[in-house]
Amino acid sequence: MFSWLWDTWYTLLRYLRTFVHNPFWMLILLIQPMIWLVLFTQLFQSITTLGFTTGSYVQFFAPGLIVMLAVFNANALAFRLLNDINYGVLVKMIATPVNRYALITGGLLYIAVTWVLQVIVVLIVSFFMGAQVATGVGGILMTFLIVSLLGIGLTGLVAAIAVTMKRPEPVVLIANLITLPLMFLSSILIPAYLAPQWIQNVMKFNPVNYAILAVRPLFLTGFDWTAISQALAVCAAFALIAIFVETAAFRRFGG
Amino acid sequence: MTNIVETHGLTKIYDKTIRAVDDLNVEIREGEIFGLLGPNGAGKTTTIHMLTTITRPTAGSAQVGGHDVIKEPRKVRAITGYSAQEAGVDEYSSGREYLTLFGHYYHLDRNTIQTRANELLELLELTDAADRLVATYSGGMRKRLEIGTALMHRPQLLVVDEPTLGLDIQTRVRIWEYLRRLNSDGMSILLTTHYLEETDKLCDRVAIVDHGRVVALGTPAELKGEIHGDVVSLTFPVDETEQYTQMTAKVRQALSGQDFVRDVQPAGEALNVYVDQGGVAVPQILRLLEANGVTVGEIALARPSLDDVFLKYTGRKIREEKGKAVGARAAWMRRPR
Repeated sequence: MFSWLWDTWYTLLRYLRTFVHNPFWMLILLIQPMIWLVLFTQLFQSITTLGFTTGSYVQFFAPGLIVMLAVFNANALAFRLLNDINYGVLVKMIATPVNRYALITGGLLYIAVTWVLQVIVVLIVSFFMGAQVATGVGGILMTFLIVSLLGIGLTGLVAAIAVTMKRPEPVVLIANLITLPLMFLSSILIPAYLAPQWIQNVMKFNPVNYAILAVRPLFLTGFDWTAISQALAVCAAFALIAIFVETAAFRRFGG
Repeated sequence: MTNIVETHGLTKIYDKTIRAVDDLNVEIREGEIFGLLGPNGAGKTTTIHMLTTITRPTAGSAQVGGHDVIKEPRKVRAITGYSAQEAGVDEYSSGREYLTLFGHYYHLDRNTIQTRANELLELLELTDAADRLVATYSGGMRKRLEIGTALMHRPQLLVVDEPTLGLDIQTRVRIWEYLRRLNSDGMSILLTTHYLEETDKLCDRVAIVDHGRVVALGTPAELKGEIHGDVVSLTFPVDETEQYTQMTAKVRQALSGQDFVRDVQPAGEALNVYVDQGGVAVPQILRLLEANGVTVGEIALARPSLDDVFLKYTGRKIREEKGKAVGARAAWMRRPR
């Protein structure tokens, strides 16, 4: 237990130290959500005329962007792992007594930390663009909880693919294949009722959609406990499955 | 003397058919430098991956320091240091940070890590570059750092996969020196190599492996001693394989029944004749061949090397490196460039 916690901590520190050596990467990571916030809210501005209950698109899109960032960050761990595999680092690590689960949890935490930093940027910038969080600090913490579970699920699955395939090309293909559909087959960008019926049906199988359905009311109106409990159940199950699959992939890694 | 490593029928089968390691039995004594010598695809890397608990054996067993690699992998990892074939380094960290990370992964305390990292940086002559990003390191520096990470916890057994692959001769000599120094401090070392010179200079004992099996085992001197006398290497002015085969047959016929000839072995383009005394044998061989109508292209005289030992047991030269399916599986360990 202690070795798991400490090994997780050192694994996390190792990933984060990359930013100390490359502060420019950190800068890009933080500018990215600002650009999206501005671009998306400009592009989709006119959607509000279709009968939105919320006043502005920023108010509608800010929680969507927070979920979207979790989807887009899912590949980042996979690429660090592929780099470690390519340079023979991972194979060295599994020859040490390091806790196996720590290699996984440390990586997932690293993605969570970068995501939280991006969310803070989104919250600050969208606040200045006129968006507010109806449920305050409690709502933000609930957002962190729900979307972290979603992020663990997505990140873990892509990481499992990376550790199994051991080459970047198929991982890029698969990640590109699933990322955009996950986003478009949810109500991140537009409310569900504006989407065709078949998409609304597919949304029911998309964990990303459950997350946004629970998170958006936290920003617009208040705690929607039905949506929150559904999102927590779906995202927690998703995260557990992903950790299980990733653990299995790590176990098979050495052959 | 106790054994640091023992394997009993150790076997690894990939994809149900490819026997990468096939019923391997070796004993490595405490305090020795033991070499696994063989061409690419002989099963060397798979063997040490099983001994370092990276890969699970399909059958058989292995003990490291008395601990079973399957039943007590944690105990094995704690006393073993593994240095990978390709420079297993993280380009995004500094040398010191990378050593420190492995110190933590070996569950050492902070002070020990700091002291040990400094010692190793000193030993491996990386002190000046310690706080620079590994991305700026040369190939030799990366390999030294990589070996350093395997030494953080003062392992009883250091396992090094191809310690000097692709390095220039000065760097190779330096790495040999480090390994000898570690060994004289009491560390047992298991290394794989396909450089004959490396085994000759470094190893107390060598196992020649081919197709996942040990085909010969002994000290380099013993192995070379099995090939008595000298090697007379002959080539013929012929182009075609058929003619070459004819020549070989003729030579065998011409030399058969001669007391001074120990053995005749094809060696790639050449034909090796193993004799007691080369200087006396050369004129005799020439005379016999001429009498039998064999024209010799070139003739060379040499002391037997491990290459000849390898040839004797496998029928191949070690450097021919014919691509074998067995090696393909482990290829992901190597950088694809």
